[in-house]
Amino acid sequence: MNKYETKGARSAFRLALRELGYFFKGAAMNIFSLEFLMVLIPLLGLWELLPRMGVVPRTLVPPPSDVAVAAWDMFTKHNFLKDIGDSMLKFFMGLGIAVITAIPIGVLMGWNIAMRKRALPLFQLLAPIPPPAWVPITIIFFGIGLPMQTFLIFIGAFYPILFNTYQAVKDTEPRYLASARVFGASELALILHVYFWHALGAIIMSVKTGVAMGLVMLVIAEMYGGRTGIGYVLVEAKDYFQISKMVVCMVTLGVIGWFLIEALKFIELKLAVWKVGR
Amino acid sequence: MIEARNITKFFSIVNEDRTADGITAVLSVSLTIEDGKIVSLLGPSGCGKSTFLEILGGLQAPTEGSVYIDGAQVLEPLPSTRKEMDEYRRKYRLLSPLANGLIKNRPKHDIAMIFQDYAVFPWMTVLQNVKFTLKLRGIPRREREPVAMTYLRKIGLADSLNKYPSQLSGGMRQRLALARALAVQPRIILMDEPFAAVDALTRERLQDDLLRLWYETGITIVLVTHDTDEALYLSDEIVVFSPNPGAIRNRFAIDCARPRRRSDPELLALKERITSLFKYDINHESEYSI
Repeated sequence: MNKYETKGARSAFRLALRELGYFFKGAAMNIFSLEFLMVLIPLLGLWELLPRMGVVPRTLVPPPSDVAVAAWDMFTKHNFLKDIGDSMLKFFMGLGIAVITAIPIGVLMGWNIAMRKRALPLFQLLAPIPPPAWVPITIIFFGIGLPMQTFLIFIGAFYPILFNTYQAVKDTEPRYLASARVFGASELALILHVYFWHALGAIIMSVKTGVAMGLVMLVIAEMYGGRTGIGYVLVEAKDYFQISKMVVCMVTLGVIGWFLIEALKFIELKLAVWKVGR
Repeated sequence: MIEARNITKFFSIVNEDRTADGITAVLSVSLTIEDGKIVSLLGPSGCGKSTFLEILGGLQAPTEGSVYIDGAQVLEPLPSTRKEMDEYRRKYRLLSPLANGLIKNRPKHDIAMIFQDYAVFPWMTVLQNVKFTLKLRGIPRREREPVAMTYLRKIGLADSLNKYPSQLSGGMRQRLALARALAVQPRIILMDEPFAAVDALTRERLQDDLLRLWYETGITIVLVTHDTDEALYLSDEIVVFSPNPGAIRNRFAIDCARPRRRSDPELLALKERITSLFKYDINHESEYSI
């Protein structure tokens, strides 16, 4: 028995490792394809040469070599990895709360007209408030720190996920519902096996939007309050006029966003495998 | 036995200029369908035959009239006042598929339904699709797979259990829909143009499959179609619908023995009569519009 269990665990681990391998290979292939490298390398070369030749002032546009040096400095001397970790913690807490609240509410609103009529107007009134407008009141409410930053990221990611989920669930093809109903499906079975899966593609799409909005709010939240995080380092670098440090922060944010979108694409591929054949 | 008495279905709509308007989809249709028969509802598109089929299945409430399946009423017309509506809901909570339970699956009449498109769930594999309907019918988890396998084998899908419907051909997909409907062992299958989306050769094979399964099980089949040949080949009775408003124009009993030949002179003669009915429709309409 024990033997089988370890074997099962090992093979599951191996499977996970293989999937992870596929994921990184797929993601890397997008960037390091020959076609894109043909564009990327000349661009980097241009970026390196123009400031060095004095076409643009080097103090304002640091060449990639300067940026690389600054990055090395930040990672080895200033523990930039910890800033990234802090930012990611806030980000995933905010996004996670948004996902686990927005999807159920969206599904319920799409499923039942009575619930929609009661809940939707509230969200429609609150959603147009630009997320950064929440910053002052959030600071007063939560003070400066993790809860406030988490809440701001949550606010950024919540509405796109909510509205897209609701819309996709509402637009479920009535014939799928009818064909399940004829067999006696309860509303719960319809939600779990029909509505949700029909909307899954749109839900994952909306989480992608949520990731983008969440990153925006992450930077805003860290700029306004906090002692750590990528956004904080960014503002700090501005105060000391360290442009290469700012570029490092921006590139880091870009890479994180790209990575998360790739991860979601991979999840979509795994969950909505039935869509691939189309 | 399915008994429809004076079924009328009226849809109210709002025109572009915001005036109220309505469509009478079905007008005063009475029809009795004996057990174990194949009955085709034939007519051009938009003649209310699909609506009528959904009323038979309890997916829509008629505006007037009532449907009885073995003496039990399916859905009576919706009431007009709110108080009556509450009572209506309470009464039909246990009867109509429209008012199924919130948490618990409640199979009602022994009806299965097959649609032209959207017949099977694309997010489930072949096996999952069949097992899902068995689950809805309250069959215990352990028995689902063997039962599903029996019917999938019967219909020739045992090799593609783990495929998704998008990986199947159109004909295979309809076959899966058929297996899914049969697996719950219904007494009545309602079909809404089940073979309209597949090519002619596949359609003929599907029709033969359907007949074979019908011999084996002896279920009642109500088939909506706009294909006269299909109706002639399959059915014991053809009910011809005419549009605007949807009503029964004519009924033809077919006594021709099975297995039938598609080129049977008797069937061809009948086909002539049926198509002439439609011709009259078209002439009538063009005269009217001039």
